[in-house]
Amino acid sequence: MLSTIHLLNILLPILYLVAFVAYTYDFIGEASNFTNSKRIFLFVTLFLHTVYLLFRTIEFTHAPITNKFEIFTLLAFAVSFSYFILELMTDVRGTGLFIIVVSFAFQTVSSIFIQDLVEVKDVLRNGLLGIHVVSAIMGYSGFTISAVYGILFIVLYKNIRNSKFGIVFKRLPSLEILETLSFKSLLIGYVLLTIAILIGVVWLPTAFPDFKWSDPKLISSGVVWLIYTAGITIKLKDGWYGKRVIFFSLTGFTVAISSMILSNFLAESFHSFY
Amino acid sequence: MNLIGVSLNHKSANIDIREALHLSKNEILELIPILKRDLFSEGLVLSTCNRTEIFGFPKDVGISYKDIQKTLIEYKPVPGLNSGNFINYFSCSAVKHIFNVACGIDSLIIGDSQILGQVKESIQLSDDLNFSGNVSKRLFDQVLRVGKRAIKETLIGEGAVTVSYAAVQIIEKIFANLNRRSALVIGAGETGELAAIHLRDKEIGKLSITNRSFDKAKIVAEKLRADIVGFEDYKERLHEFDIVVSATSSPAFLLTKDDIKSVMKKRRRAPIVLMDIALPRDIDPQTGNIDNVFYNDIDSLNVIVEENLQKRKEEIPLVNDIIMEEMVAFFSWFNSLRVVPTIKSFRSFFEEITQDELRKIRHKVTDEDFQKLENMTRRLIGRLMHNPTKKLKEIAENGIETQEVSNTTAMLIDLFDLNNPSKDEYTEEREN
Repeated sequence: MLSTIHLLNILLPILYLVAFVAYTYDFIGEASNFTNSKRIFLFVTLFLHTVYLLFRTIEFTHAPITNKFEIFTLLAFAVSFSYFILELMTDVRGTGLFIIVVSFAFQTVSSIFIQDLVEVKDVLRNGLLGIHVVSAIMGYSGFTISAVYGILFIVLYKNIRNSKFGIVFKRLPSLEILETLSFKSLLIGYVLLTIAILIGVVWLPTAFPDFKWSDPKLISSGVVWLIYTAGITIKLKDGWYGKRVIFFSLTGFTVAISSMILSNFLAESFHSFY
Repeated sequence: MNLIGVSLNHKSANIDIREALHLSKNEILELIPILKRDLFSEGLVLSTCNRTEIFGFPKDVGISYKDIQKTLIEYKPVPGLNSGNFINYFSCSAVKHIFNVACGIDSLIIGDSQILGQVKESIQLSDDLNFSGNVSKRLFDQVLRVGKRAIKETLIGEGAVTVSYAAVQIIEKIFANLNRRSALVIGAGETGELAAIHLRDKEIGKLSITNRSFDKAKIVAEKLRADIVGFEDYKERLHEFDIVVSATSSPAFLLTKDDIKSVMKKRRRAPIVLMDIALPRDIDPQTGNIDNVFYNDIDSLNVIVEENLQKRKEEIPLVNDIIMEEMVAFFSWFNSLRVVPTIKSFRSFFEEITQDELRKIRHKVTDEDFQKLENMTRRLIGRLMHNPTKKLKEIAENGIETQEVSNTTAMLIDLFDLNNPSKDEYTEEREN
């Protein structure tokens, strides 16, 4: 099992890269034959990634959530998996490359630095923590996808406004679809982050003796949650369209990513386990 | 092949002549009997506002393209029309030209999507009036096949090549489902009507038309199942529409930046598309600076049109390959029509000689020996005929060069005197 884990660890970035290349080729080529096969390839990649995550959990007797490189591989999986579900639901097939590249980046970093960890703190084997982390990860992958579609929306918006009718204009879906995809993935991310925060708020104080409400990760998650709450409320209440909603998505995402980096890499916190 | 024809199109005549010569369906119905009576046994008449084509198989050897021109000019005299306005075609070039037309590569707008339908209608008229026979039916089938293949196998018909269709393409990049959207077309002239037709084709949810002259708006609105908005109050209702297409001949702006600003306020900044396909422009281009306003004028739409036309031009070699394949297929079939009877008479010529010689020795040998002789002569004839038959079929199938087929069959007929199979000079000489 260990050798399979090691093999998949090398293989996964390559698979994501190939999936990215296939999606890119399909995006650029006007009459590509990859439309169906690229989707099958992504499915195979996700299946192997699931096997990898399962094997790690079994072999090292804990879910792969105990350090940032385990989190990265989980995030890589979550982003592409969410995209895959979105593609199946909407049949919008032209935008995969912009999402898969995120998974490729996370998985590559993870594959380079990840180690075989058997010894971890007992608290990290707790089931509630598993749900807390997985829902937070899925939530953040929702925000990532929302941000990517937000950027694509702005790029296409600018292209149309400036009468540029190149490949972006031809191959991207309509602005309305991009906006819907961005908002829907934001909504899903928001619900999942809310669950993660709720579990955290209820369970964390009992599980950690050194729990502090002023913890940077807690504060930053709260800020992110507030930004998204404001965006969603305005969109639903006032029917805002386009750039303004995207602004919330991108701001939320920027704050989320920068706070994750800052709190994980710089600040000292009870919330860090590595 | 003796197919001849004349074509009057954008390469040979100006728009006034082309339009004036355009034959309506009723006129074609009148002209075909005249052509049948005076010129052709079978044929085709195609007429659109951009081209008039008459092709057929002459009834007599002396009939030429001059007779077709004369018949047409006599039937529909058009001032300024003369022999120089026609391009004449014969045989192979005639077939190729009809194929070119069906594929849209001979059209003013390359890859014209309507021409194949118009060719189909013309073929139907020929069929209805018994103006088609075995050869022309086969030719017509091949014409439709070429047209369909060009659309299916190449990108000759891809992309918007008119300003109004380019406008619709941009609209589709902004809104996902046009059936949930409402559109207002300002101006019920030709351009406005065309834009309205495209929007209707794309199943726009609600289509409204406004025009300075109410009667004109009414005609277009009825045709397209659209609502009419009064020209005096369309500005007050502008905020109700997601898409505004303007195509009037107004010398000044109809919609200013301030108009659109107040519209956006009423729409609570919901996106609006303004397509200005008028010249001079109807909408102030400054409106394009307002958030969520998508403004395009003729110049920016022409960028799409030019690019698509260029792409279609690049597809022409691929279409030509298809045309060549289909020409080879058609002429193989056509040539085989003449080769098959020659092969048949060639075979019966040898059969007759064999039977004759066998008859002569029937009673001079035993039954068993006769059987052997009969088998041997059959094999002999088979082997002797094998190569010439094969070669003849090859010549028929491999090319569109009808002359080679004619020469070879003529030589065979001449050498073996196949036109008089009963005459056997050798036997006659021996007997004498």
